[in-house]
This record gives sequence, structure tokens and C-alpha cells, in this order.
Amino acid sequence: MTLQHYLVISAILFTLGVFAVLTRRNAISILMGIELILNSCNLNFAAFSRFMTPAQDINGQIIAIFGIVLAAAEAAVFLAIILAIYREFGTIQPDQTDTLKG
Amino acid sequence: MVVPLISIILLCPLAAFAFFGLLSLTGRNYSRQDLVSTAAMLIAAICSFLLLPQITSHPEPISIPWIEIDQIKLSMGFYFDSVTAVMLLVVTIVSSLVHIFSIGYMHGDPRYPRFFAFLSLFSFSMLFLVVSDNLLGIYIGWELVGLCSYLLIGFWFEKDSAADACKKAFLTTRVGDVGMFVGMMMLFTKFHTFALYGDGGIFAAVANLGSGDIVWLSIAGVLIFCGAIGKSAQVPLHTWLPDAMEGPTPVSALIHAATMVAAGVYLTARMFPILTPDSSLTIAYVGGITAIVAATIAIVRFDIKRVLAYSTISQLGYMMLGIGAGSYVAGLFHLTTHAFFKALLFLGSGSVIHALAVHNGSHGDEHDHESEHHDADHGDTEHHDDAGFDSHGIPAEQDMRHMGGLRKKMPITFLTMLIATLSISGVPFVFSGFWSKDAILAGVLDRAMAWDSVHYYILFIIALGAAGITAFYMFRLIFMTFFGKPRNREMYDHAHESPGSMAIPLIILAVLSFPIVNTWSFNPWSFDKHVKAPKQPHVHAPAHASEERPVLYALAGASNAHAAEDAGHGAHDAAHDHHAHSPAHTIAMVLSIIVASFGILLSYLFYHRKVFSAEGAASRLRPLYNLCWGKYYFDEFYNGVIVALSVAWAGFLRVFDLRVIDGIVNLVGFITRAVVAAFTGWFDNKFVDGLVNWVAQITWSVGGRIRRIQTGAIQNYLLIVLGGVVLLILIFRRYL
Repeated sequence: MTLQHYLVISAILFTLGVFAVLTRRNAISILMGIELILNSCNLNFAAFSRFMTPAQDINGQIIAIFGIVLAAAEAAVFLAIILAIYREFGTIQPDQTDTLKG
Repeated sequence: MVVPLISIILLCPLAAFAFFGLLSLTGRNYSRQDLVSTAAMLIAAICSFLLLPQITSHPEPISIPWIEIDQIKLSMGFYFDSVTAVMLLVVTIVSSLVHIFSIGYMHGDPRYPRFFAFLSLFSFSMLFLVVSDNLLGIYIGWELVGLCSYLLIGFWFEKDSAADACKKAFLTTRVGDVGMFVGMMMLFTKFHTFALYGDGGIFAAVANLGSGDIVWLSIAGVLIFCGAIGKSAQVPLHTWLPDAMEGPTPVSALIHAATMVAAGVYLTARMFPILTPDSSLTIAYVGGITAIVAATIAIVRFDIKRVLAYSTISQLGYMMLGIGAGSYVAGLFHLTTHAFFKALLFLGSGSVIHALAVHNGSHGDEHDHESEHHDADHGDTEHHDDAGFDSHGIPAEQDMRHMGGLRKKMPITFLTMLIATLSISGVPFVFSGFWSKDAILAGVLDRAMAWDSVHYYILFIIALGAAGITAFYMFRLIFMTFFGKPRNREMYDHAHESPGSMAIPLIILAVLSFPIVNTWSFNPWSFDKHVKAPKQPHVHAPAHASEERPVLYALAGASNAHAAEDAGHGAHDAAHDHHAHSPAHTIAMVLSIIVASFGILLSYLFYHRKVFSAEGAASRLRPLYNLCWGKYYFDEFYNGVIVALSVAWAGFLRVFDLRVIDGIVNLVGFITRAVVAAFTGWFDNKFVDGLVNWVAQITWSVGGRIRRIQTGAIQNYLLIVLGGVVLLILIFRRYL
């Protein structure tokens, strides 16, 4: 298992996340895509920390843990926004909430 | 003691007026305003007496700063010398007596309280004028008395003639006041002060001028005298005074005989030190001409008040002549004596009018009657009444042709008026008028002889003639009014002696017509001791006067010592120091007695014994008679020339205004509207609006295109962000 393996997996996760965000018509699915992107980042932090710095230096791992916490908080805010959008528009599909359309 | 007493004298009448004014604000009148005003005047009169011991030989002005703007410092204050004391006495005494007289005369008038309030205001103004130590204060008092004169002449403003007369008086005196103001400003520009006395005053400055170019000083003196010409009714601005007789008779007595018209004489006397030989001669000529012109007009009047009015003008001319001839003391002496006997004559005539007014069941309604009479005569100048002569619009009770024989009906009025007439006519030794008039005549002759001046000889002859005419017309008045048979039986039967409040002032004034009272001693010349003439720094005898001894001087036996003294000190000082001893005095006294006796004798022959017929004399001297009857056509001249020119000029200006000024305005308006406004409107519409619209158009169209990218679909935005990130990575990949 080398750094490259981790980076490849991380890139695959990131790509899948972006694909989900851009293509899914359900806001929950988009949230799940965003979680994938965040987790690919966390994976990168952990991988770079493991292979690029001395063993006792665990800064990358700590940042990954912070990232997970932030993702949880972000998910809570995102879900709250989705709830508000649902109350306002009666749907959670982003392409139908186009009030800002010029 | 001086300041508190003067303050009381000023504040009493002012308070009486303020009392009326404040009550009026609440819409009410206190019906006994007469008592308030009269009491105020009596207090002022008593204070004037108390001031007599305060006269000092070297009075100082008492003043406080008033306005200070940069370099201009104005002050207000009192100046109390012997002249002020005399004027205070004259004003307060005459005013008090007129107040008392008016209680009877004005009784029952609908505006009775207002009359007394105006009298109080007048008294305050006149007293303020008299005590002021500076020209500005004098000017303020001067204009205030003018206002009061206007209010009181027009007191019966229902009468058109009264309304016209008060306007005429106000406007005519204003003509002179303009000159006075210019003269004041000349002095102010030169000396930067209005104060007259003290080290920084005008008189001190004038005395230090040196004997350089003093033409401007002559001009300033004559200009200030212009104010006196208006106020004291001197020729040519005298025409308002006879018309002013439309006012109530007490007003005529107080304002238009005794006090206000004397303000001009007072002013001229106050300005005595700035007079130059030229301005003195101008004043003397104006005074002399006034004296003779007014006296000749008075001969032919039938209205008793008009006779007295012209007599007043004539006597004021005398005073001016006296001051112009350097006889400062004589001028003021005549002012004092004249104030008393002329007030007496006017109040006496008021008493006669009051007695004769036919329709007055109750006293004091005569003005209603006068106005009825006036209305009746209005528009019918050829109206002939029962007596068979043209009334010329004279109210019947003022027309001497209706009178006659009244001495039995009205003994007090007759006796008091006779005393005043003897006084004004110059009947010697016993009566005050003789002494003061003689002093003026002597003063004029004295200067004529000392200066050997033809001008003053001419003026002396004029004054002498006027003195004779005065005696003539005054006795004509007495004979027509009080002697002979009653000419109008109805009026005669109605006549009665006036009530006590009117008779008592007459008696007091009659007592005041004796020189003992006037001069506070048995020696008539002691007036000299109380009133000292100030020095005139710029008046000197002409050079030739002291060299060639005048013929008359020699004839009169002037001593060599006297002539030598003249040569040494200048005639001016000598003339004053030796006034009473001058040979001029003897000559003037003898001549004035002769002309007065001649006048009285002629009057007796004409109007009492009917030896000569007045009508016959009038027809033989028709042109002269017409000239006097027409009052020298001053009014016609003013109406025909000055008023007509003013009206024509106003008409021209009106047309000019309508055509030219309005035309220009309309043209400018048209040009603005049609050309400028049209162009700017077009420019505004096309260019300014076009620019604004163009900017809006571009913004609109660009915005319309750009807004398409705002899809509102969040995933589109994310795609664009992703594309942007990829693009940035591609661009900046070499730095990675």
C-alpha cells in the first residue's frame, strides 16, 4: 500500500462526489455527494500525513478528524436548509427552486 | 438736582400719554384723561420753576453714550443753560394753561381723552427738543413735534379741510427738514459728532476752525436754517401755518403760536455759534421778508384765527431777523414774550369762537357746526349768507364781519385780548412786546450802524414797517370784534362769557404779558443778565466798518471812546456789551413808538371812527389789495407750479412705467419664453434626456443578454465553478 493507492482511491471518491453533486436531482443525494468530496479530502490529509511526515507527527490525522466533525455540522445545517426549502417550495429538487433565475 | 428735575419734566407728559396709549390697547378710554394730562403738565411746570436756581454760568452737557458703531459714537443727553430754562418755563406754562383752557373748550368732544393724550405727547416732544444737548436729539424731538402737529391739526379729521391741512403742514415742514438733515450731516461729516457742547462738541470745533475757507459752514448753517424755515413757517414755506388753524383753537395757541413754531427760532438760536456773516444775513433777510409779507396779508383777513396765524408768522420772522442780526438775546426775548401774548390772543379768539358758535346747545359742539358749515360752503364758493358778503368759506363764528360790540358781553376776554394786543403792537413801557420788539429793532439798527451795512439798514426799515402794520391789523381785529355795533344780532344775543376754566388761563396769560413777569425784574433789560449770547467765532465786522465812522453814529452822538472800542474789539462784542447804551437803541425806540402809534391811529380812524372807508382804500389800492388778499399767491404758485409739475412728472412717470418699463419687462419675458426657454427645452429633451435614455437603453439591453446566465439552477453554477477550477488548473499548471 503506497501513497499512490490512497490518492487514487481519494480521487475516485472525489470524482464520484462531484458527479453526484452535479447530476443528482435530489438535494439529499447532493448532500451525500458533498460528504464523499469531504471524505476524499480527509483521506488525502491522513495519507499525506502517514507517508510524507515523521511517524510521531499526526497533524494530518487530526485535521481529518476536524474535517469529519465539520462534515457532521455541515450536514446538520444543510438538512435544516433543505427543510426550510421544502417548507417554502414544497420540493427539495434544486432545479425547481429557481427564483433567482435571471 | 438738574438731572432728576429734567427727568421728571420729561417723564410726566410722557407718562400721561403712555397711560392713554396703554389703556387704548385694551380698547378703553379713561374719560378723565384731561385731569391726568393737566396734572402731569402742572408738575412739569413746577419742576421748571424749581430748575431756575440751578442755572450756572458755565453749564456742562450731561450725556451718556447711546450708539457706538466703529468710529461713530452717538450720545444722548441734557444741556441745561439759561436758554433751556427759559424755554422749559415757556413750554410748560403755556402748555399747562392750554390744558386747562381745553377742559372747557373741548368739553363734550367725542375724542376728548385722545385730545389730551396728544397734547401730552406734544409737550413731551417739545421738552425733549429743548433739553437735548446734541443735534440728533433735537432732530428727534423736532420730528416728534411735527408728528403731533399733524395729529392735532387733523384732530377733526371728518372735515376735509382739516385732513388736507394736516397733510399740508406735515409735507411742507418736511421740505425744510430735508435741508436741515443735509446740514446736520455736513456738520457730522466734518466733525464726526452730533454733540453741540463740551470739548468734543461742534461749537468747540467750529471755534477752532481758524479763519480759512468757511463757505461750507455758511451753507451748513443755511441748510439747518431750512428746517427752521419749515417749522417756523418762514417765507417761502409759511403756507401751512394759516391752514393749520383748522385744528382746535387750543392747539393753534399751544403749537402753532407759542411753542412748536418757536422751535425753529430756538434751533437757530442754538446754532448761533456756527453762523457766519453770510448765513446770518440770509437768516435776517428771510426773517425780515417773512415779517413784512405776513403782516401785509394779515391786514386783509376776515377770519380771526387767520389774522392771528399771519401775525404769528410775522412775529416769528421778527425773531429770525433778530438772531440773523446777531441779537441773540433779543430774538429769544421776543420768543418768550410772544409765546405768552400770542397764546393769549389765540385762547381769546377761541373764547370768542366758543361764545359765538350758534348751534352749540352744549359747549364744545362747535366742530360739528364748523363741519356742517364747511360742507354747506363746499362746492359753492359764491355762497352769500345773511350778512350780504362773500363768506369765502370762513365759518361764521370765526368771521370778524359777524362780530362787533362783544366787549360788553365778554369783558374778561376783551380785557385780556386788549392787553395782548397792546403788547404785540409795541405800546411802550408797560407791555412786554414793546421791549422785545424794540430790542430786535435796536439790534438790527445797531448792526447796520456798526457794520455800515446797507443790507441791515434795509432790514431795519422793513422791520419798522412791519411793526407799524402789526399795530394796525391787531387793532383792526380788536375794533372789529369788540367795538362798534353788533353786526350779527343772532350771534350777539347768543354770546356769553366763557366758563372759568377758559377765563382763568386768559387772565394768567394776560399777567404774563407784562415785562415785570417776563424778565423777573423791573428792568426790562435784565433779560440780558439771565441769557448770555454765545460767541460767534466767524462773525466779524467788515474791515471798512471801523474805519469810516457811519453817519448815523455821528448824528446820534456816539462817543469817541465807544467808536475806538469798536475798532479795537470788533463790533460784535461791543454791540452786545453795550446793547442798552448804544445810540441805535434810542433811535429804534423812538421810531418804533412813532410807527406803532401811527398804526394804531390809522386803525382807529378806519375801523372805529370810520373816518376813512376800508373798502374805499381797498378799491383805490386794488392791485396791492388783491396781492395781499391772494396771500401773494404762494399757494397758487405751489399748486400751479410745484404741485402741477409734480403731478405732470408723476403722470409722465406713470406712462413711462406702463410703456417703457413694462415694455422692457414684457420684452425680456417674451425673449426668455420664446427663444431661450424654447432652446433650452429642446436641448433638454433631445440631448440631456437622450443621454440619460441612451445609458438606460444600453444598460437594459446588456442586462437582458447577461441575465440568461443566471439560471437559478444551483447545479449549473457548480458546473461552471468546476469548469473554472479546471480551467485555472490548466492555465496555472506549470506552477503546480
